[in-house]
Amino acid sequence: MARQFAYYPGCVAEFSSKELNATTKALAPMLDIELVPMPAATCCGAGDIAEAKPNLYLTLNVRILSEAEELGHDVLTICNVCTLNLRRANKLVKEDPRLLEQVNGELVKAGSRPYSGGVDVTHLLWYISTEEGLAHLEKQGPRGLNGLRVAPYYGCQLLRPSSVMGFEDPDKPQSMERLIRALGGEVADYEGKTKCCGFPIILAREEVALKESHVALAGARDAGADCMVTPCPLCHLAMDAYQRKAESQNGTEYNMPVLHLPQLLGLALGMSTDIMQFKRHMVPVDGVLETVGV
Amino acid sequence: MPVTTFKIFRYQPDAVRPEPFYQDFTLEHEEQLTLLDAILDLQNEQDGTLAVRYSCRSAICGSCACMADGRTVLACMQQVEDLKQWSGSDTVQVDPIGNFKPVKDLVVDLDPFWEKVKSVKPYLIADGPPPEKERIVPKEAMQRLVKESNCILCAACYSECNSLAADTEFVGPAAFAWGYRFAGDIRDSRRKERAKLYTGPHGVWDCTRCMMCNERCPKDVDPRDAIEKLGGIAFQEGRDLHDAGARHAKAFLLSVRHGGKLNETMLVPLTNPLKAPLDLPFAVKMLRKGKAPSPLPHKVKRHDEVKALVKNVKETI
Repeated sequence: MARQFAYYPGCVAEFSSKELNATTKALAPMLDIELVPMPAATCCGAGDIAEAKPNLYLTLNVRILSEAEELGHDVLTICNVCTLNLRRANKLVKEDPRLLEQVNGELVKAGSRPYSGGVDVTHLLWYISTEEGLAHLEKQGPRGLNGLRVAPYYGCQLLRPSSVMGFEDPDKPQSMERLIRALGGEVADYEGKTKCCGFPIILAREEVALKESHVALAGARDAGADCMVTPCPLCHLAMDAYQRKAESQNGTEYNMPVLHLPQLLGLALGMSTDIMQFKRHMVPVDGVLETVGV
Repeated sequence: MPVTTFKIFRYQPDAVRPEPFYQDFTLEHEEQLTLLDAILDLQNEQDGTLAVRYSCRSAICGSCACMADGRTVLACMQQVEDLKQWSGSDTVQVDPIGNFKPVKDLVVDLDPFWEKVKSVKPYLIADGPPPEKERIVPKEAMQRLVKESNCILCAACYSECNSLAADTEFVGPAAFAWGYRFAGDIRDSRRKERAKLYTGPHGVWDCTRCMMCNERCPKDVDPRDAIEKLGGIAFQEGRDLHDAGARHAKAFLLSVRHGGKLNETMLVPLTNPLKAPLDLPFAVKMLRKGKAPSPLPHKVKRHDEVKALVKNVKETI
């Protein structure tokens, strides 16, 4: 029987990066996962609401967790930022019954269901890079990546703070490396894979943000990568949509295709490129498709 | 007894060899040995010119932060054998902390750090003459400041701050932890001024949320959380439109209030109303790739609950 999750794609995957949502939905049955929609779930606030109104941030996120609890499933995310915001709220209220009581008071007053701390939040990468997940991939008889040289880009908020995230060593993550190798790709290792992409401040401080994304883009390029892969649509926007701007500002060329994690899995499993919608990327992925043999 | 090779960053600008280099030292030592004690052993027994800054050896003075195998640590808190277990190697590489200029070996020039700490006015500014006895503060009010009060100014947070690496003028995590320590103190009378002081250029809104400071702080101060709290104070003090960073956060609030989900397309002009029209070519490219979704609110089910929460939830920062 398929493992059911309350599916929280996050706003960016639902709107500007629809290709990620579509690919994840197509991938789910291949991984023996059923994605149960969360129609009442709001934005997690992406750290911005926490920065403006901390109590509101906590209440909104607990309301999301409560919807998952009502559905009876743990939450599955496909965004680093959503994962951190939801896990942080979950940890705060699970560790402090008085705080949970206060938040529930607000929820009930607004007509929402109270939360009793009954769900966990996990990212697709975490689920699929475990032995159980890799076994599901194996069952699909992956066509493979044909030696594609992939630079894993983790970004920040799926790794840090480890007291909230805790899936793997934040300084030596290996989950994407395991996946890339299991799917017949080569890992292009580089120092910038755990540095910030700059996206949270890209609209307010573009110049600083593009200096930050340079570290990872140049690192992946210098490691001889055919492409980067990221588990976060915000990192994807910074690395893909803003890549030409970063080239122009930093006076260099990267020419680095950037894949969403489910797209890399989709390629290895033979998913149709129509579903994965590479045409929505700013940096063409033709070279990647050619290497994989699509 | 274990034997460890220490590959240490050397920089002696006044010596015969003024360029930085790495030097290997071998040390046979007891199982229990901190990195600081190892460095001091090397200094005492192998090379008296090896420079390191330290004082208390007890994780109180904050002097001995350095990088060990690429991670910032407080040398006096860090066991050598734990480092070797983490790296799977008998060699430990030791570097000065990052985002600073080295002065000599592991000693860096901390002046920019101290200037930034000073810039946040890290002291209580109370109104009126001092009372005859101490100012009594409820326990709960001080408990809110416990984490920030534990900061020992070791600069471990500053060392790997991603914002600082891209913008050397960023005020930085430790200084803002001290900023919140006083902006959040009910005895302080300068909350509004502090909100303004901390949210200018290179301030609170320049934090890129890499979470490195929370990860590295040896005293669990969680400086990023303090920066977030300063954002909350800025909003409470009416500084929700004064900076692109604040308007960015405000746009999220508006999105949630009007629909529940983020309205990405409206985020751009709301954050930067003057710059957005100049960025039209980029906007067109985004539009052509389908990356500029409808600017209308994205409604979630039971949005009335969300509106009620936005209206009712009171901030206590």
